[in-house]
Amino acid sequence: MIPCTCLVQEGQISSATESALRSKLEGFAYESFGVGLDVNWIEVPKTGGFTASKPSTSSLVLLQAPTAIGQEKRADLLSKLCHNWMAETGQTLNEIVGVISDPATP
Amino acid sequence: MPLYSCNAAPGAISEDAKPKIAADITRIHCDVTGAPPAFVHAFFFEDAPHQPLDGKKAFMFGSIRAGRTDAQKAQIIEQITASIHTHAGIPMADIMMLTADTPAKWVFEGGAVMPEPGEEAEWLAQHHSEPAA
Repeated sequence: MIPCTCLVQEGQISSATESALRSKLEGFAYESFGVGLDVNWIEVPKTGGFTASKPSTSSLVLLQAPTAIGQEKRADLLSKLCHNWMAETGQTLNEIVGVISDPATP
Repeated sequence: MPLYSCNAAPGAISEDAKPKIAADITRIHCDVTGAPPAFVHAFFFEDAPHQPLDGKKAFMFGSIRAGRTDAQKAQIIEQITASIHTHAGIPMADIMMLTADTPAKWVFEGGAVMPEPGEEAEWLAQHHSEPAA
C-alpha cells in the first residue's frame, strides 16, 4: 500500500464522485505501480480554503511512489492522474494540483 | 504549490481572521520568493488529526518548492507567524510553523509540471496560465 492524500474543498465533491475517484485512484496505483492505495480523504472546511487569496476551488492529490521513479515517467503519471481527476469532477486543470513524491530516503 | 496548511484549536482563528492571514501568506510568499500569487494555497483546519497541534494553539505547515534559501524560509516563517499573531491574537509562543521542501518536478499544477523557482515567467507564458492576482 502506498499513501495518498486528497485535499478537497468541503461541499465541492459529492459522495458519489468521491467513490468514483477512490476507485479511479486505486486503479491508477495498480496500473502504475502494481500496489494498493491507502487514501486519506481530507475536506478543507468551508471558508477555510484560499488560493491566490481568494476562496479556493482547488483540489490537491498527493501520492507517494513505492520506489524512486524517473522524471519522464513521473510527468506522464502526473498528467494522467490530474486528467483522471478532471474527467471525474469537472474541475479544470487550473484547479488540480498533483504531487507524486519519491519515498523518503533513509 | 506552495501549500500552507494551518491547523488550530477550535475558535483560535476566527472566520474574519482567515482571509486576512491568507492574504498575508500570499503576499509574504510572493514578496520573499518572487513566485506568482496563483500558485499560493492557504488552507485552514480546526483540530485536524492529520496535523497534530502538540500543545500549541496553531500549527502552520508550509510545503514549498525546493530551492529557497534558509534566509528566505526564515523570513517566511517570521512574517507568517507574526500575521497569525496579529490577526488571530494568538501569543507567538503558542504558534508553531515549519516548512518542507518539495522538488518542483514532483508537482503538476495548471496543466504542467511546475517550474523551478525563478523560471515562473517563462512557464506562465508557455502554459497560457494567468496569475490570479
